[in-house]
Amino acid sequence: MAVMAIAGVLGVAACGGQIAANTPASNGVNFVAGSGTTTYFGAGSRAARPAVSGTTLSGAKLSLSSYRGQVVVLNFWGSWCAPCRKEAETLVVESEQYKSKGVRFVGVDIRDSPATADAFVQNFGITYPSLNDPADEIALSFSGTVPPAAIPSTLVIDRSGRIAGRIIGGVTYPSLNSMLTKVTAGA
Amino acid sequence: MTDVRAPEAGSGGAGAAAPGEFVPGDPAPPKLPAAGRFGVTAWARWGWRQLTSMRIALVLLFLLAVGSVPGSLLPQEGIDPAAVQQYYTAHPALAPFLNAFGLFNVFAAPWFAAIYLLLFVSLAGCVLPRAYRLARSARALPPAAPRLLSRLPNSVRYETTMTPAEASAAAEAFLARRRFRLHRGDGWLSAEKGYRREFGNLLFHIALIGVLVSVSLGGLLGYKADRVVVEGSSFADTVTDLDAYHPGHLVSPSDLAPFSLTLDKFTASYILSGPDRDQPSVFGAHVSYTAQPGGPVRSYDIQVNHPLNVDSTKVYLIGHGYAPVFRVTDGRGKIVYDQATPFLPAETSTYLSEGVVKVPDAQPEQLGFAGVFLPTAVDVDGQLQSAFPAPYQPAVSMIPYSGNLGLNSGVPQSVYQLDTSGMHRLDTPVQVLTPGQSMKLPNGAGTLTFTGYKQWISLQVTYDPGQVPALISGIVALAGLLLSFLVRRRRIFVRAYPGESGRTVVDVGGLARSDVGGGFETEFAELAAGLGAAFHGTPGADRPVPVTAATPTRGDNDPPPTTEETRSAETE
Repeated sequence: MAVMAIAGVLGVAACGGQIAANTPASNGVNFVAGSGTTTYFGAGSRAARPAVSGTTLSGAKLSLSSYRGQVVVLNFWGSWCAPCRKEAETLVVESEQYKSKGVRFVGVDIRDSPATADAFVQNFGITYPSLNDPADEIALSFSGTVPPAAIPSTLVIDRSGRIAGRIIGGVTYPSLNSMLTKVTAGA
Repeated sequence: MTDVRAPEAGSGGAGAAAPGEFVPGDPAPPKLPAAGRFGVTAWARWGWRQLTSMRIALVLLFLLAVGSVPGSLLPQEGIDPAAVQQYYTAHPALAPFLNAFGLFNVFAAPWFAAIYLLLFVSLAGCVLPRAYRLARSARALPPAAPRLLSRLPNSVRYETTMTPAEASAAAEAFLARRRFRLHRGDGWLSAEKGYRREFGNLLFHIALIGVLVSVSLGGLLGYKADRVVVEGSSFADTVTDLDAYHPGHLVSPSDLAPFSLTLDKFTASYILSGPDRDQPSVFGAHVSYTAQPGGPVRSYDIQVNHPLNVDSTKVYLIGHGYAPVFRVTDGRGKIVYDQATPFLPAETSTYLSEGVVKVPDAQPEQLGFAGVFLPTAVDVDGQLQSAFPAPYQPAVSMIPYSGNLGLNSGVPQSVYQLDTSGMHRLDTPVQVLTPGQSMKLPNGAGTLTFTGYKQWISLQVTYDPGQVPALISGIVALAGLLLSFLVRRRRIFVRAYPGESGRTVVDVGGLARSDVGGGFETEFAELAAGLGAAFHGTPGADRPVPVTAATPTRGDNDPPPTTEETRSAETE
């Protein structure tokens, strides 16, 4: 019996390192923060993205299918999430820089309220639209393909609507830049 | 005829090791060859025998227990990473040293895995060969009949007018009807019953392996996650939407069951009086959920020990609390915060709860509030307290801060704690707000409004594919153990040979192996009588001396006794 109990603990404690955890009773962080892991998929091994559509924070309808033929950066964020606040400036800079190369940035605001999300967008001067997704349904629709595995997570979708790369945790200028260089070059 | 013969076959056949007795890997302990001739294979074999011995398994089990001690003494990365950081600050010299041994993440440390794997191999290496031996033993034929059946604990001798072959055939038919397993040879017959004992033993061992496999299955393919959900809000079983996530080694984020769940309402009732006052009497969470995106919406009532089951993933209700709703207007007059904020119960008897509100996008400076929520606020000698866990008189009291929350640095922080190192306390008198009341911050920094409250629940999502197999294995192990304890293996031997009088002598012997409950004598007497009737035998003398004695009991179908029959008697 002791063996079983310990084995159970072992199984539970499996992943370690990069996962921050807590129950409400402890004093950890109450979301799964990423470690900055970058995954790039070659042109031959990319999964198609699911249909993504919804209402933006400003109330407009938006569907990713209207961006067909363009590279899309899909960034999952929340105004309450520290790594998201840190990466926001980088995302703004790169969204401007890659606009002329046919790259469109779309945010997915999760676990947030409209008031805080609006304040965040205004504060960081974010110019690209963000889908309002308090129940995290968009992230859920990626399960089975390349799901975002932390907050923030960033997916890069190529011109034919396939998932070319994923950054778990906050992006840095080099990490997103190198991925976008490859994807826009058609690699 | 029955003169002295060497008991060579007899003792060998009947006296083997009792079933159910745990014979270690080899009957003889491994001999250490002379130092010079100890080859690689010999070392390997010796090592394997050591590893699979009971002693080493116990040592490994002990090591596993000792190895998990640091996990409870030192803060652990997987449970409370913030505490690990605190330990690093408190012990800058010691912490890196401890970390080198993986002591901040004991259960994922290589040395811990090594102990566990060795234990697993040790148990499997012990149980598998034993299961194989038991399987063979369960299929084995009974051994040849011993020569001198009269030496067995139970024996009886008959004489019959049948030929030895006829008598053997009659005995065989009788024992076969009684579902004995038979082994016949030249003039003898061995019969054995109670193989279910071996089968039970085998079942027990296989089930033990099943338990091991199930547990590792759960550890590799299962996951566990926590999530706090406020009334009226939803969550999806995807990693970005979980508060804490502990996956098994082989679980990838795309393996999570793609359900989503909305908490419609949480109800709790508390006992109002008596010794159990303040204790919850009933609580349940009414949720609606979809098993996968686009699927039908179903509703369910999650209660303690009554989890929601979605595609083998279980959702347990493990806690609840209050989430006061705040609206914050910043210095520009803009609403920068308007949402329910879960507070953690600090007193379980009154549900006095503590929490913080962080407003990182307030201008000109970030705002933070730390304070308490009181479900039933009362003033006790000027001190604010909660009198009851139910929300009869909800109120909050919050202390405002402004400055730098530390969120923009990108380091994740607890939503339940305010890092005030970069902030200063705003100078306002302590105020108690009831729903709808506001508190104006000094210097036009903004306003905090307590608009109402909601309740939250904490859910634990678990998927353990090993749970059901482990349960089944456990039940099977128990059943096997019972079978092996309750069933007795017993053997009946029959030898028929021509006697001196020209009649056939039939010896019947019986032996119970591991006669736990006793009672074999009765069974043997009954079987022996049945056998005697089968070959119309009369009790014969233990030695061929003609004696006159009473007629043995016999069945109604037996032929009437002849004068010859009355001659024989028992002498024992």
